[in-house]
Amino acid sequence: MTHPTPFGLHRRSLLKTSAALGAASLLPGLPGLAAAQGGAKKFAGVTLNVSTFSATYPKLLQQWLPEFEALTGAKVNFDAPSFPVYNQRVDLELSTRGSAYDVVNVTFIYSSRWINSGWLTPLDDYIRNPNLTSADWDLNDFLPGARAPETGKDGKLYGIPWTAEALLTASSRFDLLEKAGLAFPDTTDDLVKVLRAVHKKERVAGFVADNHYGWTFVPYLHAFGGDVFRKAPDDLFPTLDTPEAIAAGEYYANLLREFGPDGAITYQPDQVTQALKLGRVNFTDAGQLHLAQLGDPATSKTLKTVRFGQVPKGPAGRFPGTAVHGLGIPAGSKNKEAAWAFIQWALSKQTTRKAVAAGYGSPARRSDIDSAEFRQKQVINGSDLAKLSLDAIELASKTGHMKYRTVSVYPQIDQQLNKAIELIASGQLSAKQAFQQAQANSIAELKRAGQKL
Amino acid sequence: MNSASRTLGAADLAGAHEEGAGLAGLDSAPRQGPPWWRVHGRSLTVVLLVLLVLSPFLWLVQLAFKPAADIFGDSLLFVPTLEGFASLLQGNFLKSFGNSLLVSTLSTGFSLLIGVPAAYALTRWEFKGRDRIALWILVTRMAPPIAFTIPFFLAYQYLGLQDTVIGLAIVYLTFNLAIVIWLMQTFFEAVPASLEEAAWIDGCGVWQAFWRVALPLTAPGLAATAVMCFIFSWNDFFYALILTRTNAITAPVAIVNFLQYEGWEWTKIAASGTLVMFPVIVFTVLVRKYLVRGLMAGGVKD
Repeated sequence: MTHPTPFGLHRRSLLKTSAALGAASLLPGLPGLAAAQGGAKKFAGVTLNVSTFSATYPKLLQQWLPEFEALTGAKVNFDAPSFPVYNQRVDLELSTRGSAYDVVNVTFIYSSRWINSGWLTPLDDYIRNPNLTSADWDLNDFLPGARAPETGKDGKLYGIPWTAEALLTASSRFDLLEKAGLAFPDTTDDLVKVLRAVHKKERVAGFVADNHYGWTFVPYLHAFGGDVFRKAPDDLFPTLDTPEAIAAGEYYANLLREFGPDGAITYQPDQVTQALKLGRVNFTDAGQLHLAQLGDPATSKTLKTVRFGQVPKGPAGRFPGTAVHGLGIPAGSKNKEAAWAFIQWALSKQTTRKAVAAGYGSPARRSDIDSAEFRQKQVINGSDLAKLSLDAIELASKTGHMKYRTVSVYPQIDQQLNKAIELIASGQLSAKQAFQQAQANSIAELKRAGQKL
Repeated sequence: MNSASRTLGAADLAGAHEEGAGLAGLDSAPRQGPPWWRVHGRSLTVVLLVLLVLSPFLWLVQLAFKPAADIFGDSLLFVPTLEGFASLLQGNFLKSFGNSLLVSTLSTGFSLLIGVPAAYALTRWEFKGRDRIALWILVTRMAPPIAFTIPFFLAYQYLGLQDTVIGLAIVYLTFNLAIVIWLMQTFFEAVPASLEEAAWIDGCGVWQAFWRVALPLTAPGLAATAVMCFIFSWNDFFYALILTRTNAITAPVAIVNFLQYEGWEWTKIAASGTLVMFPVIVFTVLVRKYLVRGLMAGGVKD
């Protein structure tokens, strides 16, 4: 039973009205959505099915859904399984052009496949339409480097980024370097010198990396002057048997072989994070969201000794990896306008700012990254993770070296790179043999995928 | 006792006494007998083998009771906590667990309901194409699950069966039916047909003969088959991954969902992994006396 308020309204109605008014005041720029506009909720009766993988930002959105529902009248089913589960499901769903989802996460590694297959809806018309998008929503506030992987060959935008993450280098026991009189390594040569000096000091192994080498090794491949393809995305002939690629493979596998802990080639991302948090391993290259966990006072034993930097530069320069995920609308969605309203709300300045205030650590809006609130939270033991990450993303945007990652056939090459590094690090093949094998296998895989080389 | 035996006994006693006298001075010498490793070696080997087999389970269970901060710690000593299990109560895991129970029970029940009479018919009745039918049923077990995924996915989209417990139970029925039919055929073959023929003479119909004679005699086989079906349904990950989203998610998929993007939720994974083992263990223990008999049935031909 609900009790009437002094004004004759029921408590629940009052709460709903307050939420709508509150949301409307929070989001003044969502045209056609506010309850104040004629009192009608534009998407009343619409049920939106949203699916992303489970991560901090989607979890925050799930908490704040009543705000969107009160504002628009739409009901939202928000599904957020784990990353591998999400990718399997949505890849299958999109490939059948089904209408089960109205908003999906445009996963970085699948963006090219999903966009170029026509499985997603171009968002440009929605963004340009003043009746659907407010002027202050400000698309240009999203980092250009984060928008690039969400853009198709046709130049149209298919996803709005909610996370822009960079691959950075971390030292969990920087105190060991300081004792040895060494600085944070800036080059690939520096890194080896440092690792030789600190490996096994105080029983701390020198280096480990997530065994997804198609992600962690590629900055080194680029740094040595090599590349994955001849010129992605136009010329996808693999270039894994070049002298530069072989030298990079030899160098990187040696980091794992000579300075890695026992079983270094089996480490998953979370194991790498835990090893660094416990101070069992000193150096790694990992995504910003994983590295930020070294600053957690509750679980990190290396909070006071950690230091971060860019991935090392090699003879050819510095090429940090970046990862971007965005929200998009499947081609089969039957509620596209409501879906766009959801994306607009989920990635409005108001919502992203609220997320940053709640501790979200990887925003894609420049205004968030530049905000004092975000910067303050991102400084861990003197290292400004936000600045490092922003620099890395901007560098990647300028050089365009991340284009290899969003071509539809990269997953096949990715597997070959993983295998090649494992074969070298475990001593089964020389770098030359492993990379020649990777090259031959890659060509075969690409031909099998129907790629014209 | 006769005198001879008494004499013999006396002589023996005398001899024993002499031997005893002779050994009296060697009280401190070790007793003769088989070495300890012969006595206890076999037991020790069994214990070690059991520990080896159980080690992954034991490791999982101890992780489930570890505080999150100690999961990757060096020490094997820790203060046990229920925080992993408590965190499962706050999320949707129990719903997924319930879905798994429901789907597995439904699928097992329906499989037996349809499969047992089918197996009986294929065993007892001669008709054209009987062997081929049995072979075609087995195809559902021969082909990899991925082969059926797309047809099921598209059909379920059309029928609205996606993300439903009933939908998933129907999918599991397809591979469980093959198990039921092929296993139960073996068990029915082991029952002499003359028993059912005798029942017919006594006035039973075909259905009554099946229900009152053949089925009770194959009860151990039925139990073994039910366990198999339940385990296969309980353990399925692939179909549940593709055909469920939020409402009908089963426990194996829910566990994988603890592999979060920013890091894995180890305590939840360990606690849920521990919980997931129990229904199958309990079910198997309940029917274990039938299980061994069932699996042995038909092993020796008379």
